[in-house]
This record gives sequence, C-alpha cells and structure tokens, in this order.
Amino acid sequence: MEPNQPKELSLEHILKELDQCADLHHRSFPELATDLVYFPHSVDNTLFIQELLEPFSRIQRSEVDGMLQQSQFVKMSEPKTAVVGILDGKVAIFHQKGVYLLDVSSPEARSVQPSETETVIAGPHDAFVESASTNLSLIRRRLRSPHLKIRKYAVGEISKTAVYVLYIEEIVNLQLVEALEQRILKIETDELNDGGKLTQFIEDKPNSVFPQFLTTERPDVAVSKLAGGRVVAIVDNSPTVVCAPASFFDFFSSPDDYYQRWALGTALRLMRFMALLITVTFTAMYVSVTTFHYEMIPEALLRTLAESRNRVPFPPVYEALLMEIMIELLREAGARLPTKIGQTIGIVGGIVIGQAAVQAGLTSNVLIIAVASSAIASFVIPSYMMSASIRLIRFGVIILAGFWGNMGLVMGLALIIIHLSGLTSLGTSYITPVAPMKPRDWKDVFIRAPFSMLRTRPSQTKSSNLVRQKNRK
Amino acid sequence: MLMQQKISPFHIAVLTYMAQAGIVLFTLPRSVADYFGTNGWLVLIPCFLLSSLNIWLITLVFRLGQGRSVFAILEQSVSKVLLYPFYLLLAGAWLIFGCMIGKKYVLVFQMLSFPSTNPMVFKLAIDVLAFLLLIKGIHSISKAATLFFWMSAWMILLLVWFIPSFRWERFTPFILQGGHDQVKGAIEVYSAFLGYELSIFLFPYVKKNNRSMLAIYAGNLFLTLNYLGLTLVCFGFYSLDQLKKLLYPVLDLLAYIQFPFIERLENLLYGLFLFLILITMVMYWWAAQITVQRIMPRLNVKILLFLLLSIAYCISFIPKTLDQVDVWITNLGYAVTVIAFGLPMLLITVLLIQRKGVTSHG
Repeated sequence: MEPNQPKELSLEHILKELDQCADLHHRSFPELATDLVYFPHSVDNTLFIQELLEPFSRIQRSEVDGMLQQSQFVKMSEPKTAVVGILDGKVAIFHQKGVYLLDVSSPEARSVQPSETETVIAGPHDAFVESASTNLSLIRRRLRSPHLKIRKYAVGEISKTAVYVLYIEEIVNLQLVEALEQRILKIETDELNDGGKLTQFIEDKPNSVFPQFLTTERPDVAVSKLAGGRVVAIVDNSPTVVCAPASFFDFFSSPDDYYQRWALGTALRLMRFMALLITVTFTAMYVSVTTFHYEMIPEALLRTLAESRNRVPFPPVYEALLMEIMIELLREAGARLPTKIGQTIGIVGGIVIGQAAVQAGLTSNVLIIAVASSAIASFVIPSYMMSASIRLIRFGVIILAGFWGNMGLVMGLALIIIHLSGLTSLGTSYITPVAPMKPRDWKDVFIRAPFSMLRTRPSQTKSSNLVRQKNRK
Repeated sequence: MLMQQKISPFHIAVLTYMAQAGIVLFTLPRSVADYFGTNGWLVLIPCFLLSSLNIWLITLVFRLGQGRSVFAILEQSVSKVLLYPFYLLLAGAWLIFGCMIGKKYVLVFQMLSFPSTNPMVFKLAIDVLAFLLLIKGIHSISKAATLFFWMSAWMILLLVWFIPSFRWERFTPFILQGGHDQVKGAIEVYSAFLGYELSIFLFPYVKKNNRSMLAIYAGNLFLTLNYLGLTLVCFGFYSLDQLKKLLYPVLDLLAYIQFPFIERLENLLYGLFLFLILITMVMYWWAAQITVQRIMPRLNVKILLFLLLSIAYCISFIPKTLDQVDVWITNLGYAVTVIAFGLPMLLITVLLIQRKGVTSHG
C-alpha cells in the first residue's frame, strides 16, 4: 500500500495526505512565513529545539532562506518523498521558496543487553537490539573492513521495513547474495517486523519443520558467519539476525565452543549430537520396548519395569504422549510467564508429574525418566528453533514406535533423513558436510578442532576464497 | 543454481555399495557354507573378480560413450520400435526385483516381531518411504544414501564382539568340500553382489573422469570386504554343520549381542538394515523409472512413480510366503545378472558400430 501521490508539493496537499493522523504536529511561524510538519514522537526533542526552534527564534524572515541553504536541510522536489520523509521521523519545513526535510529523528530504542535465548558462559555478552543502526554498528565495530558491504531493501507494502543484507565482498560467493536479494525482492507482505518472519518468506522449503536459515541474537555469531563467507540479513526493529546458507549441523554449535579449550568444545559438541539422538529416540524406544520388544530388557531390569508399568491402565504410547504433551505444556507455560512464576510452574509441574502422576497410576517411573531425559536433551541443542523442530518431530517417531515398535522407530528416522536430504538452504545442501561429503569441514562441525587446524571456510558457502586470510601466503 | 552439481566419487561409491548390500546379506554365510562346503567364504573372491570385470565393462561404456546416457547411446542406432519393448522388459525386471527385496525384508521382520500383523501394511509403509525418496531425484537419493550409510556402516564394527568366540579351529585345511548344486549356488551367491550394474545409469550425473569410475570399484570392494568379514566371522563362530542348518545365521549372530542395559538387540539392528534395503529398492526403482520415462517423457514424474510403485505393490501380493518370495528373487536374480552383463556388452557393441560408422564416414 504505497502512500498516495499528493498532487503537488504544498502544505495543503501534504496535510491532506496525512489527514486524520492525530499525532501529526503542524506548527506555523507566520512571522517567518514558515510551517513545520512532523511526528513529535519520532523526533529527538533536544535536537529539534537546538537545530530548528532556537534558530527560528533568533532570525528574521529574510534570513530563513539563507538558513535553509545549510547542508542538513535537504530540499524536496517530489511530494511523495516529503510524505515518506515525515513518516520516517523527519521534520518537513514549508517555506515560500521550497520544502525541506531535516533529520532529527530519534526512534525509541532499547539499550544493548545480553541475549536471553543464546546465553554463553565465556565470550562477549552483548546482543542485537531492535534498532538496525545499533545492530549494524555492533557488526561494524567487530569487522572494521572496507570489504564489509551492506545492501538495503524496503520490505512490506505498508511498513516499508528496512532490510539490510551484509556480506564480505572478497569472501562471499556473490551468487548467494544475489539469490538472497531475489528472494527478498519477491516478498509480498503488508508488514515485516522480525528476522524469524523474514526467514519464512525466503526459505527454500517454508513448509518444512526444520529451520533452513540460522537466526541469532548474537553479534559475534553473525560476524563469524560473515567471516565464514555467509550472508547476513538484518531486519529493522528486530533483534533476530538471519544467517544464510545454513546446514543442519550448524544448529548444534554454540559460540561457547570457540571461547574455551578445544577439547572441551569438542566434548560439548559431541554431547549435543548425542542429545539429538536421545531426544528423537529415547521416549520412542521406551514405547517400542514396552509395547512390543520386552525381550530387549535384561532380566534384572524387567521386574522393576513390570512393577512400574503394573498400575498403568493405558498402552505405553498413550502414556508417553500424555507425558510428552505435559512437558511441552510446562515448557510453554514457563516461557510465557514472568521468570519468577515460571520457576514456580516448573517446580509445581515437576512435582505433579514426577510424583503424583506415578502415584495416581497414570504413568510409570521409567517413562518419567525417559521423557525427562528426552526433554533435557532437547534443551541442550543451542538453537531454540532447531530444538523446537526436533521436539515436534519426536511426537511422530513416538507414534510410529507405538504402531510398529523398532521398525516404526527406524522408519521414523528414515523419514527424517529422507526429508533432510531434500532440503536446501539458499540452494546449497542442507546436510553438508555429510552429503555432499566434505571431510575437511568435519573438524569444525562434529568436533571443534584447535584453531591451528581450522584453516578453511565451510565449503557450503561455495566461496572462491576458502582459505582463511591468516594462512594465506 | 548452486544445486546442480555432479555426484562426487564418494557418493557414487556409497550408492554402489548401498544398492548392492541387500537382503541376501542375512543368508549369505549359509549359502556359501551350504553350496560350497568347507571354507565356502573363498567363493566370494571369484564373485568379486567377476563383478569387477562387469564394472570394467561398464567403465568401457563410459569411455567409449564419453559419458553419454545409456538411452542416448541406444537411441542413436536402434529403432524405438525395438527399443521400447526392451525398455519395458528391463524396467519390469528391476521393478519387481526391487519389490521382492522389500517384501522379503518385511516377511523376515514379521517373522521376528509381528507374526500377527499383515506384512503388506509394512510393505506399504516402506514403499511410501521409497516413493518419498524417489520423487526427490537422484541427487537427494545420493545424499540420503550417504546418511543411511553412516547410520548403518558402523554395524560392521559389531563383528569385533565375536572375536572372543571366534575359533580358527573351525576352519579346516580342506577347501570347498561337501557342497552341492554349485552352479545354482554360484548364481545365488553372485546375486548378493548385484546392484553395481545400476551405476551405468549414473553417467549423466557424474563428472567425466576416471575417479567417478574408480568409485564403482571402491563401492564393490567395500561390499566384498564386508561380506568377507561377515562370512569369516560366521565360519569361525559357528561350526560348518551349524551354519548349513541356520536359516538366517546373521540374525542369530546379532541375537548373541548383549549389553548390561539392553539385550536381544537383533530386531533393532535388523530394523537398521532397513536403510540398506531401502536404498537397494530405491535404486532398482529409480532405474525402472528413468527407463519408463524414456518411453513416456511427458508424464509427470510423481504420477509415473505412483503408477510404477502401485504396480509393484500389487505384484508383491502374489507371493505369500518367504519360500515363494525366495523363488521369485532367485529367478529375477538370474534375469538381473543377465542384464548386468548383457546391457554393457550390448552398449559396447552399439558404440563400436557407431564409431566404425563415424570412421568410415570420415
């Protein structure tokens, strides 16, 4: 929805265009034959007084023209540009000899704070905020290179949200930048207010449960992605930054891995892949074993399990789904409520589920262990988006295991793999470096090798400059 | 733009290996022991050499045809009236062979864990998985095959479990004594190697270099080493007479594995073999699909696959028992072996005629 084109660049026509905007201010200075039109909430008051009101109180009518010749006053020639300027938070100055725009805008912004969703123990703690200019400065401060290029687009018919695409010119494969640009230009929406929303418009397969672009709130992650040859998109008014292309395995690495000794980083990373396996298979395995394959349980454990299951009247699959749904409800309630109440919900829920459900004969002790381990393992995955996707697909695997035991479990895994094999991220394989097989990348995907060995950029980026700068001769 | 890359040699090797490793794996040690007697595992070596010779024929087609597709080579010299029935025969053999491999896998699984469930329900589920993979195309199939490979290849390490129970005494100095029906046995054992012949259809999707062809040999070699490892362990673990009597010695072998927290893993491990079976089926069906597509190029791929898989599914209703399925697999195994050798030889002949034609014109 484009602003209508006012017929001419005059005060009447501009005011008519911005009719019924209660927050619009129109201020006249008859002695100077000048009018100001602006949205006061978008204007920095101190700057406004300093740059406009104070000079206006000092000067004569004949001097206005001279004052407006200063560089900060930009002369308008088109009525539409003037309207857009006012909407952007600039002050429009209507004078006999022309219309000028003065940028004294100061949108409300949150100060830079630590990220709450991507916490690290070591390393920098600052996170992106809603202001794109602050976010750009956070990146520029870390990458003081003339090769860091930024392209700007306006997305949203009504909102005209600024979307910035960042890349390092001499590292990136420009085909990736162009592919991202094409997708951004094709977005058809009224408004865009978040990076997470942006990904859903530009992902290769928007109907997949798996996130195909990595989103982050951390400038250090965005910068390392840029230095790895990836493209980053910043959406104004969103603290979530999009990094593309991404591979499935990228979602299992945390910036913490790089801020501590490589052996620790490697151990943690391997543990996360184990967590993935536990999340997807643990509860399903319980269902499969207790429904069809009792022979898999060692004799010593069989009695405990039989006792535990003795009072439960439902088939294991119902029991497991009930518990999994309860855990999801608890998690969702914990996420929506204020921190203090959230903790209470966790304790109450834990006791209710852990104690009362078993005593009431709704579930078995062993299932509680399986569901809890599976839930804890899912929270080990650093990316919330990926962790949520995996928790969702787990339900499918549990149901399949409930139908066909181990065969159902394996079929569920096969289905996930088939789906992953067909996914792409910005036209590149989603499961690289496993397929296409790039063993060179494994040392920074499955393990975190010492920095002396991390000499190449990820091959997924198809960069023409795969060798990192520091090792170039 | 960035997607249309050629299949790399590693993926060709994986595809070859995964297409080869199928349901015969479970009966192979018994077959070699039963048909060839003492030290029957040695038969795998001539089988490997013979399959390598066949792969050499395939690489010859690749070189002579300069990487052109099988269909392009044939259609340049042979009339479509002759070719289309030939295509249908090929596609039919591969379609039903793939289908019977799936059916046998399902029947064995049913025997293990779900005696009261209709096996055709499992078969349908596996066919749906295959359909979902096939519609994604050969690039995605190769990617899925690689992931399946990593999720199943580790199982070879389970052989280490049997080292303490392994006895060299069970190997006699006598070689190939006490067998019977060795010609039939040889064909049956050789069918365990089949699958490599499908690499002939990968030509348009691979880089035109020697490494692509070497990858087919590598896949075949890896399979042979797996087979050798498995049969050697079986010969050292069971006595020859035991091995001859066991229907599925590999399953019995898996049943021997126990861990403190979990025992009788065989049905879970057998489940993981689905990854191997699925790719074997998918590769045969993919070959059938691209062959029929040559006759009906305008038909939507998804519709074509749906039709082909529906036909295969309906046919899989015919054999009801494992024995009947085994008969189908054996007979189709003969046909597929003939195709494996015959198709490259036919192509080489056609290519030599084409070359001669060009030379005489020149």
